[in-house]
Amino acid sequence: VLAAAVLAADDVSCLLVGSAALWLHGEPVGVSDVDLVIEPGGANLQRLRDGLARIALRPRALPSARSMGWLPMVAVMTSYGKVDCLLERGRLGWEQLSQHATTIRVADSGVLVASQGNVLALRRRFKE
Amino acid sequence: VGERSGIGLVELSMLEALDSLGARADRRPRRSVRVLQAVDTQIGLAPGYAYQLLVDLAQPWTLALPLVDGVGNFGSRGNDPPANYRYTDTRLSRAGEVALAAERGTLAPVPIGLINGNTHREGLRPPFAPDRVIKALRQVIRHPRVSDGELTEIIGPPDFLTGCAVTGDLAAMAAGQATDLVLYASVTAGEDGRQIIIENTPPYFSTDDVVCGIAQRARDHHWARNHPELSTHARLPLADVRDASKRGNYRFVCVPEPGTGPDEIIEQLRLVYGVQTRVPVLLPKPLPRMIRSWVRAFRDEDLLGSLATLEEAIAGQAVPSQ
Repeated sequence: VLAAAVLAADDVSCLLVGSAALWLHGEPVGVSDVDLVIEPGGANLQRLRDGLARIALRPRALPSARSMGWLPMVAVMTSYGKVDCLLERGRLGWEQLSQHATTIRVADSGVLVASQGNVLALRRRFKE
Repeated sequence: VGERSGIGLVELSMLEALDSLGARADRRPRRSVRVLQAVDTQIGLAPGYAYQLLVDLAQPWTLALPLVDGVGNFGSRGNDPPANYRYTDTRLSRAGEVALAAERGTLAPVPIGLINGNTHREGLRPPFAPDRVIKALRQVIRHPRVSDGELTEIIGPPDFLTGCAVTGDLAAMAAGQATDLVLYASVTAGEDGRQIIIENTPPYFSTDDVVCGIAQRARDHHWARNHPELSTHARLPLADVRDASKRGNYRFVCVPEPGTGPDEIIEQLRLVYGVQTRVPVLLPKPLPRMIRSWVRAFRDEDLLGSLATLEEAIAGQAVPSQ
């Protein structure tokens, strides 16, 4: 969750889904990684790329911001844990997901978190 | 999976290939490329894929019972990759010979799969301490009415070769339920009280990445002024991080910034990814039942004899470093 807060502090527009989102909503779930839906757009992808480069264990392995424009997903190992950036999900459903999202404070950073309903719906879809 | 040893079919094919080339534990090793060609001929697995498995079988820090004895550069726990298969040699280890004999029926079954597990390849079965598994099997053979609780206690928690601590819902794991194990390194204040020593880091995570991650967390964030609270959580007040590893004994030294005591940072360091990791586990059935059904399945064979042979093989193999 700290990884999401750090990226948010880095002005990356992203939205937390997955088990970390459920945990922030108060659900008693184990969090092994962080799933982030990324807002599409060149400027945001560049901020994401720069932000990830500052926390990735192997920054040289990161794809360029341009590649992130068409990649479905980028998984990055950071010192805060594994971060999965769901780029395609952002391209397909950012508007809908962000409409129902809420901002939750992590330390003094605001993390945009998808609604519980949307998180569970995404999980179901992923598992199917 | 080979039923009589619990190792995978591809692994078994590697052992068959080594044996067919005469690369036994007491003979000279053979070029890995020849072994991989034999595997390719046997099961059609290309050398590039098969080599990753061969390397796993030979790395003493990956498996509690390495089935292959590797000669040459087989990589490290850091980011150093093994040398190409044209430049390494391999032969069967003693445990590999025992596994092969069990699969061929010349020896009663041995629980090598149960001991090694498969979490090293992102599987869900964790490794267990060889001596404890053997003790539990002997207990069931000699005293079939031993309780499930006693068996679980004999086997103990999963045992990872790096010596990392293991926590989590161990009762759920032993009951055959899906759960996460939390593995973490030893993080202690040094004798001089000015350093922090990190040892026994969890497996399946590059030691180079652990150092890199800690060093990265010590850097300043450009947003620190706007988010001071987040900065205190995200940034480690360290002046220096050193890799003090020697000959496979992995040890990292962190020096706190002036004015910061080690105790203030130890808890934060314990949360750094790589110093602590989670491993999902799910046993195919409850642990005591696994032990009992293994004994029941092969009750007509000389299990006590094969366990003694396995013990001898373990004793004959070099003690792996972390």
